[in-house]
Amino acid sequence: MPFDFNITIAGSAGQGLQTIAGILTKVLARNGYHLFTSQDYMSRIRGGHNFTNIRVSDKPVYAPTVSSQLLVALDQESVEVHYQSLTGPAIIVHDSDTIKVIKARNIQVVAVPLAKLSNESGSPVYINSVAAGVLFSLLRLDLKDLVGFLETRFEEKSPEQIKGNINAATKGFTYTSENYQNIKTTIGTVRKKNRMLINGAESIAIGMIAGGVRFISAYPMSPSTGIFIYITGKAKKFGIISEQAEDEIAACNMALGAGAAGARSAVTTSGGGLSLMCEGISLAGAAEIPVVIANMQRPGPATGSPTRTAQEDLDLVLNIGHGEFPRFVFAPGTAEEAFYTSIHAMNLAEKYQVPVFILGDQHLVDSSITLDKLNPNKVKYKSYMVKSGNLKKPYLRYKNTKSGVSPLAYYGQDKVTFIVDSHVHTEDGHISEDMVVAEKLTEKRFRKINDMKKEFYGPQYYGLQNAKTVLVSWGSTYGAVRETIDYLLEKKKSVAMIHYNKIWPFPVEESIRLLKSRKDIRVVENNYQAQFNRLLKRETRIDTGEPILRYDGRPFDVRFIVKKFEKRQK
Amino acid sequence: MTKENHFHYSVERAWCPGCGDYSILSSVENALANLKKKPHEVLMVSGIGQAAKLPHYIKANGFDGLHGRALPAAFGAKVANHKLMVLVTSGDGDIYGEGGNHFIHAIRRNIDITLIVHNNQIYGLTKGQASPTSDLGMVTKTQPDGVFTIPFNPLEMAVTLDAAFVARSFSKDMAFTTKLIEEGIRTPGFSLIDVLQPCVSFNHVNTYKWYSDRVYQLDNSYDPTDKSKAYKKSSEWGDKIPIGVIFKNSRKTYLDNFIKHKDLPLIKRKTNIKEVDSLINELY
Ligand SMILES: Cc1ncc(C[n+]2csc(CCOP(=O)(O)OP(=O)(O)O)c2C)c(N)n1
Ligand code: SF4
Ligand SMILES: [Mg+2]
Repeated sequence: MPFDFNITIAGSAGQGLQTIAGILTKVLARNGYHLFTSQDYMSRIRGGHNFTNIRVSDKPVYAPTVSSQLLVALDQESVEVHYQSLTGPAIIVHDSDTIKVIKARNIQVVAVPLAKLSNESGSPVYINSVAAGVLFSLLRLDLKDLVGFLETRFEEKSPEQIKGNINAATKGFTYTSENYQNIKTTIGTVRKKNRMLINGAESIAIGMIAGGVRFISAYPMSPSTGIFIYITGKAKKFGIISEQAEDEIAACNMALGAGAAGARSAVTTSGGGLSLMCEGISLAGAAEIPVVIANMQRPGPATGSPTRTAQEDLDLVLNIGHGEFPRFVFAPGTAEEAFYTSIHAMNLAEKYQVPVFILGDQHLVDSSITLDKLNPNKVKYKSYMVKSGNLKKPYLRYKNTKSGVSPLAYYGQDKVTFIVDSHVHTEDGHISEDMVVAEKLTEKRFRKINDMKKEFYGPQYYGLQNAKTVLVSWGSTYGAVRETIDYLLEKKKSVAMIHYNKIWPFPVEESIRLLKSRKDIRVVENNYQAQFNRLLKRETRIDTGEPILRYDGRPFDVRFIVKKFEKRQK
Repeated sequence: MTKENHFHYSVERAWCPGCGDYSILSSVENALANLKKKPHEVLMVSGIGQAAKLPHYIKANGFDGLHGRALPAAFGAKVANHKLMVLVTSGDGDIYGEGGNHFIHAIRRNIDITLIVHNNQIYGLTKGQASPTSDLGMVTKTQPDGVFTIPFNPLEMAVTLDAAFVARSFSKDMAFTTKLIEEGIRTPGFSLIDVLQPCVSFNHVNTYKWYSDRVYQLDNSYDPTDKSKAYKKSSEWGDKIPIGVIFKNSRKTYLDNFIKHKDLPLIKRKTNIKEVDSLINELY
């Protein structure tokens, strides 16, 4: 039986909802369930309120849903906040001693003395394990899997703590099984299969590592920090050096120094930090230094909303850096796409000696999905530097070639010297104010675009062939748009979607081919000005319908898109 | 004046006749030759300014980046290839003004590079505005009532931050400058050599004569390893200006935390795809 079940674990910061979600999702993924989990860090009504949504299904799921069938309320506020979004027959799990829940039709209340059972197991800190035990019982999962997880995952804890946690989990499980045997749940069974669980931050980080990143520098800024932390954690093992810079200007220029010297380099940041990198990115353009810039968006302007999501920086990355120079901009739609895109990005930065942007957002980096596998050999690391011993002399760092790409060497390679320079310069990198030199240099850089256009893959089509209506997604709106298409197809609508990961150089011909003679084209994006919609119209000269926009810091979901979509259709 | 050596690069220089930058260039060339380095083993990094043009005028590798950003770029290059000898030559405005924050943190990191600041106490390239080291009272078009912001003392700052090597020189004294640059390069960690450099076109206060009348070489009785004495010495400015090694301080360099000299530089390392598989496996 197909099923689509949403679990909300809610509480205030520090209550360990991440721990409960972590245990549950891991075991569900190992058992073959498909998951989409998203993080929502709120700060409304009396201080912090956070929740994690875990969507469980028998088929792949790509987006969050708003309504929930199971709520784990770790505090009273969680009951109040989420009560409305429960769809019956729903379950509320709460601590029977501290939280009150008004009984209602269609709501099954599971009241468990969570804190008491934790204390009985030796400490109040085992409460998350108690809650996990409750959930395992309700979802008809095997207690053995939970115990196994606690044994292996908590191996850094003392034997006493592991025992305490196992005891606590068992108590929660047993209590629930004994008292709430009659609770009906809608989570179905699936064929057992070991799936991985990955979020966007991990996938970009691992992609960069697979793409041969050697140096990474950053200044911490949500929601990009997860990528930087991940790579830093693996730096020793992979012979990478990671440096927390004094500011984003330094981070960017460090990466450029390393890049000029021949090390694959990357920076991670978010809007405000990217703004500070503006001049450095222009230097990468002028001096033709490979660098990958992972910009994870959050709402702005200025500080905006640090823990929320947005797609407001598209115009910025398309234009950042004074003067004119070519660049790549990618906006992967899922964690899976982000992994392969990041490997490509590392390769392409070096191949064309241009800045490459990976444009993600909080929704992409903080959401986890289940995948069967990732294949680091699917997109291969490839070096584009001249091989040692093969350097033609005299070596010209900015040799004016037909493709626009000059041979790339490292300082001192084959005993040559060269200068990397930010001015208008001659082929050997020295300052020039000659007008012919200036003209030729600009043309050389822009000639790269011809081959850059052919790189990577174009927009992806999904849905009914020749559909009248086309929804357009870019970046992390992919998931919600895809599910909207599935929903509308079921209602026998003539719909399809086009998803853009490669945004620049803009795939003009492919877009025109896919978009021409559609009745209605609706771009879905997380910003106010419909930045991608404008770009699409400008590049294709095709008229689009009213874009579907969201700029409240929240990701799209099917219900939101359908509502806006149908409003226009009437 | 210039001894021909293999770092010498005969090109037109866009500096004014008589500018102190010429002597600094010669001192750098001589120091590198004396240290028996080869041009391809050396990287000269700069920002933007008159001083920052130096990498274009020497036979070595170069990175001429952005105004104020020489130090982060030099850090990145050194980390990428620790076998390169990395020198930064830039102006006082570049290093202490636009790039002041990086100056602080490069010293803290103690990355093994040598910073030579052409300190002409003025913005040369932009035609004569006050710099962070301009003396009080100096009148310029942008400081018409004279400078009233107290000057930045780079040596005091560097001593405070426990820089590995802190020195001052006077560009005219080429042999002395050469010696200090050599010593700075030889000292592991971050070395600062602040070189007083007359700007004959725009700084009409701190002229050759002004400096010559004031500078004196520190002699053997001065112990540069004593931090409190060094701090005191670094603050000396006015009728008498000390030149020489102000402070020496041996501490672990940035790369000592990661790399031994014999190790493969970052640029030669390859990612093992099998190990990437292990990262993926951790996610199951
Ligand atoms: C971001 C930026 N701001 C301003 C400038 C203009 N500018 C170039 S050099 C310079 C000051 C140069 O002074 P200094 O660093 O002392 O070098 P000098 O010319 O005196 O050797 C300025 C303000 C620039 N190139 N970039
Ligand atoms: S303006 Fe001053 S610093 Fe610049 S070259 Fe002329 S004398 Fe030297
Ligand atoms: Mg100056």
